[in-house]
Amino acid sequence: MNTHREKLTQLTDDFDWLEEHCRREPELARHAEHLHLAAALARNIIGGALEQQPPRPLHLAVVGGAGAGKSTVANFLAGTPIADANPQAGYTRHPTAYLPATGAMPWPSYLGFLGNLRKLTDTQPASLDEDVYQVQRIPARDGASEPLQDYIIWDCPDMTTWASSGYISRLMEVSALADVIVFVASDERYNDEVPTQYLQMLIEAGKAVIVCITKMREADATPMIEHFRKEVLAKRANENQSAIPPIPVLAIPSLTKEERADPAGAGARYRIALINHVLALCPTLDEARDRTVRNAVQYLEKASESLLSIASNDLAELDHWKATVKAGRTQFEERYRREYLAGEPFKRFDRTREQLLGMLELPAGLRYLSAAFALLRAPYSYFREFLIKLAGTSEVPPLPEQAVLRTGFDAWIDTLRAEALKRGTGHPVWKQIANSFEAGLKNQALVPFEAAVRQFELKEGDELEQAGRSLTDRLAQQPIILGGVRFAKVSFDVLAIALVLWLTWLPSWYHLLLIPLAVSFTHQIFEWIVRGTVEAARFSARNKRESLLGAHLTGPVSEWLQAKPLSEGSSIERLQSVLRRVPENIRELAVIVKPHPATNAP
Amino acid sequence: MITVTLQQTFLRTLSPLLRSLEKPLRSWLDGRRKHPVSLLQRAELEGLAEDLRRKSDALDVERPLLVVMLMGGTGVGKSTLMNALAGAAVAQASFTRPTTRDPVVYFHQSVNPDRLDPALRLCRLVRHNQESLTQKVIVDTPDVDSNDLKNRETLKELLPVADVMLYVGSQEKYHDQIGWDLFKEQRQRRAFAFIMNKWDRCLQDDAKGVRPDDDLIADLTREGFASPKLFRTTAQFWLDATANGETLPPKNLPPGEQFSELVEWLERGLTHLEIESVKARGVGQLLAQSLNAVEAVMPPELETQADKTRESWRLVLADEARIGAEVLVSTLEPHQKEIEHQFRVRGQSRFRGLMAAYLGVGAKLRNAGSTLRTRVPFVPRIGTSEPVKDVQIDLSTFARDCARSAGERVLDRRTPALVNRLLLDADQRGFPFALLNEPTAAAGKLDWDERYSRCLVESLADVERESTAPVGWRAFFRGGVTLLANYLPECVLLATISLLMWRFFVEDFTPSFFHILLPVYITLGVLVALHILITFAFPVSWPAIRDAFQTKLQGKLTAEFEAGFLPVPHEVAATIREERTEVSKMAEEIRTVAEWLNERETASHVGDLYGK
Repeated sequence: MNTHREKLTQLTDDFDWLEEHCRREPELARHAEHLHLAAALARNIIGGALEQQPPRPLHLAVVGGAGAGKSTVANFLAGTPIADANPQAGYTRHPTAYLPATGAMPWPSYLGFLGNLRKLTDTQPASLDEDVYQVQRIPARDGASEPLQDYIIWDCPDMTTWASSGYISRLMEVSALADVIVFVASDERYNDEVPTQYLQMLIEAGKAVIVCITKMREADATPMIEHFRKEVLAKRANENQSAIPPIPVLAIPSLTKEERADPAGAGARYRIALINHVLALCPTLDEARDRTVRNAVQYLEKASESLLSIASNDLAELDHWKATVKAGRTQFEERYRREYLAGEPFKRFDRTREQLLGMLELPAGLRYLSAAFALLRAPYSYFREFLIKLAGTSEVPPLPEQAVLRTGFDAWIDTLRAEALKRGTGHPVWKQIANSFEAGLKNQALVPFEAAVRQFELKEGDELEQAGRSLTDRLAQQPIILGGVRFAKVSFDVLAIALVLWLTWLPSWYHLLLIPLAVSFTHQIFEWIVRGTVEAARFSARNKRESLLGAHLTGPVSEWLQAKPLSEGSSIERLQSVLRRVPENIRELAVIVKPHPATNAP
Repeated sequence: MITVTLQQTFLRTLSPLLRSLEKPLRSWLDGRRKHPVSLLQRAELEGLAEDLRRKSDALDVERPLLVVMLMGGTGVGKSTLMNALAGAAVAQASFTRPTTRDPVVYFHQSVNPDRLDPALRLCRLVRHNQESLTQKVIVDTPDVDSNDLKNRETLKELLPVADVMLYVGSQEKYHDQIGWDLFKEQRQRRAFAFIMNKWDRCLQDDAKGVRPDDDLIADLTREGFASPKLFRTTAQFWLDATANGETLPPKNLPPGEQFSELVEWLERGLTHLEIESVKARGVGQLLAQSLNAVEAVMPPELETQADKTRESWRLVLADEARIGAEVLVSTLEPHQKEIEHQFRVRGQSRFRGLMAAYLGVGAKLRNAGSTLRTRVPFVPRIGTSEPVKDVQIDLSTFARDCARSAGERVLDRRTPALVNRLLLDADQRGFPFALLNEPTAAAGKLDWDERYSRCLVESLADVERESTAPVGWRAFFRGGVTLLANYLPECVLLATISLLMWRFFVEDFTPSFFHILLPVYITLGVLVALHILITFAFPVSWPAIRDAFQTKLQGKLTAEFEAGFLPVPHEVAATIREERTEVSKMAEEIRTVAEWLNERETASHVGDLYGK
């Protein structure tokens, strides 16, 4: 149970935070109220269901715009004028609960019940503007029946006056708690935008709603109800394309003083109609409560689906940041490739070439033969060297690797910073990033960067040595192949000499000059093969270096940078974890809460 | 109440003044400028320009009309009030909400509809013949709070026309947020009077809370209306009485009902003078608001920031030039032979005769490799650039290729990075990023390859000139050596040949083959000796000129960078200063008119309609 409680607390905290988040951004402001309601539903309904609260008492909330006659309707429900009906608009500032006149009523006291509202211990005027609620007992009347003896009637503050922004959360809390809601609209108010939106929200939340239109002339009652159904209910249903359950609408016309003073007597006809509607909506207590819980769960599930649309802006900006980091990374790698890698000769492979050529020479006693061939080749070799030296050009030396990495990194960070400044006036994420640059993000980024550089340098040294050695080692480990190659080379040499002799038989002294040429030629062929192998290895080493750079340097650094706006308690980080947690929590809580209603549902 | 007579033509004089304010504002809004103006500010200024024009049009008459506009939530009784004022059903009033969709304009028959503001001409026009309301136009508007959002749009279009707003509240709605927000938004601009309609519903003997009228007055006091004009009315009673043909006032009026006071105020309270005063005041508030709005878009002073930015950019650019020079020189490095050859050929042009021939052969031999090399691509790896055609002849092609190669290798990617660096640096110095971004990026997009190669060619030429044209004792020394080299070999040749001849003819000496070639050997020896002397005295080797060259190149690059980037902050600052001058001129004009108006604004008894 405790883990459930924790989950619930976390869920409501997350909703509260999301609401705050939405209020900060004008585009998202329309979500704020829905999130508030979601939090309130989670606290009041899911919280109660988790602790298996009995269905008695059911909560009946009276809500509506200022001056619409909420208190009057509450009095009609109570059967006696108990609520302060008052001409001052927005007089009622905190909710008041009215308990039935007789009989014990267990007062709900579970975690999350009415959120942060505190119960007043004494009776206070309804205009007390604090986060409180008060409980009063309806004064007993002799011999009066009590049709609503299982109900607590809540008289709530309004949502239309300019002061209401300060107390709308109290209204919201009670609305969320309620099993049945009586929505009061006067002849002035019934087509007003703000109350209609609130009504719409209650309907979406699956509350059982009764609409009560007040104050019109008796004769206008029926046409006004029709007009309300057509203009408000039907239009809203069309706009939202959702099937809205039939909502009972009834009228309480302008009242006489007597009717107002004695709801159970002079005003009985209105009272009876009202109570009948309430009882019709709640055939049994269990059924009513199950509906409340079921619909609350549904609403929360729907809310969790809409979270993505709330976060879409932030996530889009986050994606943009990531793309910027990635573009910077590409730049960095490009620079490394051009400034360093393209000019880097990888001298290690020259040594490998020498070693390979050396290995092709014959071993042991036969080395004199090799030496003889080498001697024959000498003139050609020297001549070739001379030509190469004459025509050869030295490569453009690459910039020092360390410097390339460092300036590349500086440029990367500068790009990000410039982008953040460019977008600083837009989404708050960029402002936040720009600020963290002010606060020395670059120095922070240097830490992972330098660690990555060290890692990278270790790797690249190893890698090069290994690539260089692997060629010679592979050949050395396979004596058969090595021997074969050596044999092939010697036989080619011998063959070439034989060929010369055979072609020029009997050779004169200048014909003999062809012999060194032939031997040089065969050797040159082998040298080309070796050179080709080594160059291929050099080429692959260069490619390898690039992937090493990606894996050990730019990869980790870019991940660190991408994740930067998500860390240190930033709003985006919170948003992401909220996005993850909320649907999870709702799913888990729904599983715990749901089984009862499913079986009892009609 | 002190009323000083206003000059008859006073309001009319304002009209051209307002127009003269509107025009520069309009052209300012239409123009393009650097300093960013937010959408909200722009919208506000556009609205103000529009208002200035309206006001100017409205005042350009003998007797200006006062537009009184009813405003409030649906069902508070705006139309009922209108009908009660007219004494007939001129506006549609009904129990369905919202009722009024088309605004009603109620005005005297003597007024030509063409004199009405264009926004009003599109409404339903109702004429009357009440003399007391001749100069007043009363407008009934749609609601502010119903689900029908189009109504709110209609109202917002009409609002700028209003001089006096009648804020109508009912017991239920006097406190509503939507209306209150609209009031707060508009109160700086127009006169406000208040009506608490359905007054009968506000009275309840046993009520605990504050009575609605007191509640509203308290709110208004907090908003700065010390004694707001508030009328408590029950328009429906008056209308019913009129409809039923009863005598007025109706009999069962609740206590404190003030509809007749409202009528009195509208008909007689708002005198000709008060109307002028309200109008003048409206203009005054419009001017004050315009002044605020204009001052809000005043571009900042950027001169000091520009100075600071310039100084710090100088360092950044010098650093960049240093690296650029290093890269360019290292790109030249593999071609040192060509460069040396180039220098040598230039240096040899001083010599004549045998020495010149000797050196020419030597240079050709030494450069044999280079001619070979011209057939292989200049930049092997990133082979996009064209191979160098002829290194010896065209130094500028050589330099351009070299610069392009360096660009591809390093420098091209450095330029955008440099732009970012500079922008961030300027941001640190307090220069707004948004202003500098574009021009700096543009400077970064100049043809830098071209500039690099120009620097390269010029530096090469400079270094060459210096090394081939030394100064001071070296010049003398070289002159001597040159003279020596130009004549000595010939002299030696002649001398040895003469000696040989003399010995042959005079001493009858028969020379062997070796002796005959002796002049050649000796001359060659002299030539070699002179060559060695020249080589040591005037070294033309890459390592010797490299540093001089790099320093020169760095200087040139610094100059190029500074020419490209350094003027940017001051140019931007100058543009912004111009914009600032323009804006402050506008502000000054507005201030002048406002002061002029202030001196003449007098009637104080409309103060209650405004608050503080």
